[in-house]
Amino acid sequence: MNGELLKISDLKMYFRVRDVSSWLGAHRSLKAVDGVSFGIGRGRTFGLVGESGCGKTTVGRTALRLYRPTDGSIIFDGADIAGLSDKEFFPYRRKMQMIFQDPFTSLDPRQTVGDIIGTPLTVHHLVSNRSERAERVKELINMVGLRSDHIGRYPHEFSGGQRQRIGIARALATMPEFIVCDEPVSALDVSIQAQIINLLEEFQEKFGITYLFISHDLSVVRHISHRVGVMYLGRLVEAGEVNELYENMLHPYTKSLMSAVPAADPEAAKTRRRIILEGDVPSPLDPPSGCPFRTRCREASAVCAEQTPPLVDVRSGHMAACHKLSIKG
Amino acid sequence: MSGDALLHIKNLRTSFLMSDGVVQAVRGVDLSVKRGEFLGIVGESGCGKSVTMLSVMGLLPDNAAIKADTLTFDGKDLLSASPREMRSIHGDEIGMIFQDPMTSLDPLFTIGNQLMEPLRIHRKMSASEAERRAAETLEMVGISSPAQRLKQYPHEFSGGMRQRVMIAIAMSCSPKLLIADEPTTALDVTIQAQILELMKDMKEKSGTAVVLITHDLGVIASVCSRVVVMYGGLIMEEGECGDIFYDPLHPYTKGLLASVSGMGSGEKKKLVPIPGSPPDLMNPPDGCPFAARCAFAMKICAAATPKLTNRGGRLAACWMLRRKLTA
Ligand SMILES: Nc1ncnc2c1ncn2[C@@H]1O[C@H](COP(=O)(O)OP(=O)(O)OP(=O)(O)O)[C@@H](O)[C@H]1O
Ligand SMILES: Nc1ncnc2c1ncn2[C@@H]1O[C@H](COP(=O)(O)OP(=O)(O)OP(=O)(O)O)[C@@H](O)[C@H]1O
Ligand SMILES: [Mg+2]
Ligand SMILES: [Mg+2]
Repeated sequence: MNGELLKISDLKMYFRVRDVSSWLGAHRSLKAVDGVSFGIGRGRTFGLVGESGCGKTTVGRTALRLYRPTDGSIIFDGADIAGLSDKEFFPYRRKMQMIFQDPFTSLDPRQTVGDIIGTPLTVHHLVSNRSERAERVKELINMVGLRSDHIGRYPHEFSGGQRQRIGIARALATMPEFIVCDEPVSALDVSIQAQIINLLEEFQEKFGITYLFISHDLSVVRHISHRVGVMYLGRLVEAGEVNELYENMLHPYTKSLMSAVPAADPEAAKTRRRIILEGDVPSPLDPPSGCPFRTRCREASAVCAEQTPPLVDVRSGHMAACHKLSIKG
Repeated sequence: MSGDALLHIKNLRTSFLMSDGVVQAVRGVDLSVKRGEFLGIVGESGCGKSVTMLSVMGLLPDNAAIKADTLTFDGKDLLSASPREMRSIHGDEIGMIFQDPMTSLDPLFTIGNQLMEPLRIHRKMSASEAERRAAETLEMVGISSPAQRLKQYPHEFSGGMRQRVMIAIAMSCSPKLLIADEPTTALDVTIQAQILELMKDMKEKSGTAVVLITHDLGVIASVCSRVVVMYGGLIMEEGECGDIFYDPLHPYTKGLLASVSGMGSGEKKKLVPIPGSPPDLMNPPDGCPFAARCAFAMKICAAATPKLTNRGGRLAACWMLRRKLTA
C-alpha cells in the first residue's frame, strides 16, 4: 500500500429534527453517524455495507463535505478538510466526486446529458475547446453503455438504469482521485452491472482512483472491495480485508446480514435457512444504551446494555466491536 | 387469451416523439396478469419494463403515444378511461411503486401527509384513524419511531426508507393489483426479505396480484410464480419460474442467467457482460432485437422478428425454436 488517501476519525454527523412530542417546536438530534473511523489506501476500494438507514450515505456525503460534520476529522491527502470553509474546499471539488444513490434528483432536469457531463469538463479546464469537449463526452457516454445519440436528451427521457449510468459518466468525467459510489449499480441488470464494475476497476488500475463503495449487494461488494466495513445504527461494527471478513465473520450482526442473501435459484429459495433478526429495528432518534445491536442480538448479555463495545483489532487488521470477542480475546 | 385475467394487454405499442425521431420503447407486448398471481418482469436496462407498466397507468409525458389492441383492467377499458377515472383507479384498485421514489414523493409534504392521503380519499377514513393506520404501515415496512417519522419530510429519510414509504403508500389500500417497479433496489437483504414477505401476505389475504419488475433474479426466484423476459421493447420468453431458471429456451435468457454467476466468490476474476449493446430504439432492427448479440443467430434472425410461440406450454420468441417446431 502506498499510504492512505482518506482517513476518517471519530466522525459524527447529527441532524436536527423537530421533536413531535414537544409543543414548543423544540428540536432533538438524530445521530445518523456516531463515531466512525476508517482509512482507505490510495487506489483501493473500501466497501461499506449495512441495513437501510444505518448511515452509509451520510458517511459518504460527509466525507465529501456535502454536510459539515458535527465532530471528527476527515484527512484527505494529508489535509484535514472537515473544518474548511466552502471557498477553501473548492479546489478539492474536482478531486472528490460522488455517484448518487438517487440518480434523478442529482441530475439537473433542464440540462441535456451532454451539458451534465460536459460542464464540469469546462469548469475545471479539462478540455480546451468545444470539439474536444464533445469528443470526451461521447467517449464517456459510450463507456457506460449509452449511445452517442443520447447526448442531446434530457434526464427524464431515460430509464432508471440509464439515468444511473449518466451519473456514473459525470463522476468519472473530471478524473477525480476519490469517488464515493453510493449504490452505483443497484438499478442495473447483471450484464450492465458487470460492464460498469469492470469500468470502475479499469479506471482504478489505470488512474489509481480510490473508491468508497456503498452497496447493499454483498456479492458486488465482495467482488470490488479490498476492505469492507459493516455499519449498524451509525457505527462501524466490523471491518477487515475482504476475504478475511467474508470467511471469518466475527460480529453477530454481520453473520445475520450475510445469511439473508437470496440466491437466483427457486428451489434453493424454498429450503434456504436464514438467521431472522428478532426485535424491532432501533431508531437513531432513540438509540439503545451500550451496544447498538444488543436489542436484536441472540448472544447479548448484561454488559452489552451497559457499555458500548469499542472497535478493536481482533486479528491482524480484522476489527470488530463486540463484547463477546474482547471477553474471549 | 384468458377471460379471467385481471389485467389484459394485447399488442401494446408505446413510442416517444423526439425532436430527432421517434423512440419505439414498447413494440408489441402481450401480457395477462391473473388475479392473485405473482408475476416477475426482467430484462436489460432500457428494454421497456417501466414504460410498459406506466402505459397501463396512463402516466407518461405528453410526447408519448400509447396504442394497443386491448388494454383492460378488471373488465374496464383503460384506453378510453378519462383522466378522472384513471385517478380513482390509481391508488385504490391499482397500487404503484415507482422506480424513482424521490420524484413520486412530494418534497413539500410530510411523510405522514402522503401516507394518509389515499386512506382519506379512497377509504374515507377520519384523520385520526388514517394517522393511526399510517403509523402502523410505517412500522410494517421496518421504520422505527413512526410517530416522529410521520412528521418528517422525504429529504430527511435515507434512500431505502423513501423506497419503503412508497411501498407503504402503494399497499395501504390493499389494491387488486400492485405494480412494483424495482421496489427493493435500495434495500439490504434483511429488509428486502421482510418487504417481499409483506407482499406475499397481501396476496394471500386480499388476493392482490403483484407485477414485480426487477433486475434481481434472486428476488424473482424467491417470490414469483411466472416470469416474463423482455428485450428491446419485446417479450422474448415467458413461463413458470422454475422452467425459466432451470431450462431457459431463449438465448437472451440463457445469457442473462449466465452473467449472474461469477460474482461473490473470493476470486477476483473479470466479469463477463453479454457482449454488444442493446438495439437503437429509434431505428429498431427488422429482425430479432437480440440477433446482433446472439451467438446462435442465423440469416433469418436479422430479417424478420420471430413471434412469441407456444412450445409445449412454454412461450419464447426465437427462430431456433420455430425451426425445431416445423422440422
Ligand atoms: N420520456 C421518454 N422519452 C424518450 N424516451 C424514453 C422516455 N422514457 C423512456 N424512454 C426510453 O424508452 C426505453 C425504455 O425505457 P424503460 O424506462 O421502460 O426501461 P426499463 O426497462 O424500465 O429500464 P431500467 O431497468 O433501466 O429501468 C429506454 O430506451 C428509454 O431511453
Ligand atoms: N438531511 C437529513 N435530515 C435529517 N435526517 C437525515 C438526513 N439525512 C439522513 N437522515 C437520517 O439519517 C439516518 C441515516 O441515513 P442514510 O441516508 O445515511 O442511511 P443509509 O445507510 O444510506 O440508508 P439506505 O441504505 O436506505 O440508503 C436515517 O435515519 C435518516 O433518516
Ligand atoms: Mg443511502
Ligand atoms: Mg425502469
